[in-house]
Amino acid sequence: MTIFEAAFGFGLVSMSVIAIAAVGFTMQFGITNMINLAYGEVMVSSAYVAYSLNRAGVSIWIGMIAGGIFGAVFSFLLNRVVYAPFQRKGTSYLGMVIVSLAISLMIANILLPIVSYNSVSYAEHAGSIIRFGGVVLTVNQMIIIVLAVALMVGIHALLRYTRLGKAMRATAANPSLARNCGIPTQRVIDMVWLITGALCGVAGVVAALNSDSFAIASGGGFLITALAAAVLGGAGQPYGAMIGAVIIGLMTELTAAAWSAEYKEVVAFAILVLVMVLRPQGLLAKRGALAAAG
Amino acid sequence: MNTYYATNLLVYAGVDIIACLALNLQFGVSGITNFALIVFQAAGAYAAAVLSMPPSSSPDYSFQLYVGGYNLPFPIPWLGGALAGAALAIPVGLVVLRKLRSDYQAIALLVTSIIANTVITNARTFLNGAAGLALIPQPLDTQIDPRSDTYSYFFVGLTAVAVAVVWMIAARIVNSPYGRTLRAMRDHELAATALGKNPVQLKMTVFIVGGAIAGLSGAILAGYITAWAPSEWLYPETIILFAAVIVGGRGNNLGAILGALLVPVGFEEVTRLLAAARLRGRTGWLTGRCSSQRTSTGASRACRPWTAFRSRCHEGRSPA
Repeated sequence: MTIFEAAFGFGLVSMSVIAIAAVGFTMQFGITNMINLAYGEVMVSSAYVAYSLNRAGVSIWIGMIAGGIFGAVFSFLLNRVVYAPFQRKGTSYLGMVIVSLAISLMIANILLPIVSYNSVSYAEHAGSIIRFGGVVLTVNQMIIIVLAVALMVGIHALLRYTRLGKAMRATAANPSLARNCGIPTQRVIDMVWLITGALCGVAGVVAALNSDSFAIASGGGFLITALAAAVLGGAGQPYGAMIGAVIIGLMTELTAAAWSAEYKEVVAFAILVLVMVLRPQGLLAKRGALAAAG
Repeated sequence: MNTYYATNLLVYAGVDIIACLALNLQFGVSGITNFALIVFQAAGAYAAAVLSMPPSSSPDYSFQLYVGGYNLPFPIPWLGGALAGAALAIPVGLVVLRKLRSDYQAIALLVTSIIANTVITNARTFLNGAAGLALIPQPLDTQIDPRSDTYSYFFVGLTAVAVAVVWMIAARIVNSPYGRTLRAMRDHELAATALGKNPVQLKMTVFIVGGAIAGLSGAILAGYITAWAPSEWLYPETIILFAAVIVGGRGNNLGAILGALLVPVGFEEVTRLLAAARLRGRTGWLTGRCSSQRTSTGASRACRPWTAFRSRCHEGRSPA
């Protein structure tokens, strides 16, 4: 069944894209307690930053780095200027969800006059084709996969072997205790927004590169897949998000091969609903968020 | 002032008031953050459309594909719209309201809203996909010529009756011991549970009643603009209604009405006048109703695929 082998190849690529996005999203949630629904819009904004550079003749990979930097700075400012003041005032979780939703709408509508609502795509040669049996990938897709693996290993190393990672885990587990132990939680949280923002920006560019074209309206789809992967793996758990990305990436591409490409997001959603029905306790478990998993 | 514009505004105000009353019942009084409210309005609109339209095999309607097509007379589509909203609320409520924490409920409903739109957009044979339904018959349009001023006043009257009925129902619910129970649940769910109230049952009931009211608002809207498509019910529409309820004062029915008049109607009409002042004489803001309503769909609707604010009329022009 060559179509399924080909779909498996696409699945590898989309799981890489989803993993980058979902790990960033879930770390924001796990450490800062913030369900950032503006995540998809930040991804799209970063994709547009890379697009404007790409239009000027810069390679998309340099554009991707720029997108990552933009995502980091943007997310950092978003937290400092908007989210943190609300959290200091003691806004409820639900209130924060509404705030982030409002932010996502604002970003989308600010983007609208700047880039217009038309779909655009990167001018980048897809590169030559590499075959592994029935799996056919372009060089660009290989780069995306390698990049995702490198980023995941990097996140793992960060959380496991560095002082910053330890501080992040401590902050996630118990912020006030962490502060009492002398961990500068404010600086840790700033670092979290920078790192997850960079992941978000890079994810936006690779997601845009992986789909034929993108537009402002793509933000919703980006957000949902990241959200589904993050929730599937257990909200706040980076390793869970990686597993969730693998499942959702493969499932969506295999259904696209077996059924219809339009229903990719619907499948992601169906998985999400199943998890919410069958394992809501997994969703509710906020404790141990970011504790080293296995 | 042009009759069309005035009556158009009044009908939209009525529809928004009904939707805001539904949202107030759910979000304001009971604390259910229903980010999918617009989906219930859409369900009502689609139900009313297929109930009142002839089958898609009939000659004038063969350019679109849809299920049903029952050609039923006036009050039935509106009641059917309300029923559809209520019926949709049952499965959604069962999935979302039983176990999830409130912020997850909000996200699950938001995701529901986005996905429902994706599904309807892509499933062309179900409700004509992205192009949506057109030529939806207007209530009693065989008795009164729908292009006459009389009909406009008549429709405003019908909408006013619907608003009054919904207002009475909502007021009865809010100002009763049941309403107090709902507010108790909103303010302190654990305490309400300790006093023997079943929060899941209460939430389900409110979700279904609110779904029915939202469905009715959709049925009125579909019967008025005679067209209904996925671009009419993108999730930002719900956010406008949330803004209305929050601005008006959550938990207060009068506040919901005030909010509906201020935010979706007031703000948007004021900005429309600003645009009109700038482009004096060029735009058709006084013509009110949709120029696209007698044509098929598509082109004019595609001009504003993603804006926060409901495009009141498909005037077939790009955003100014």
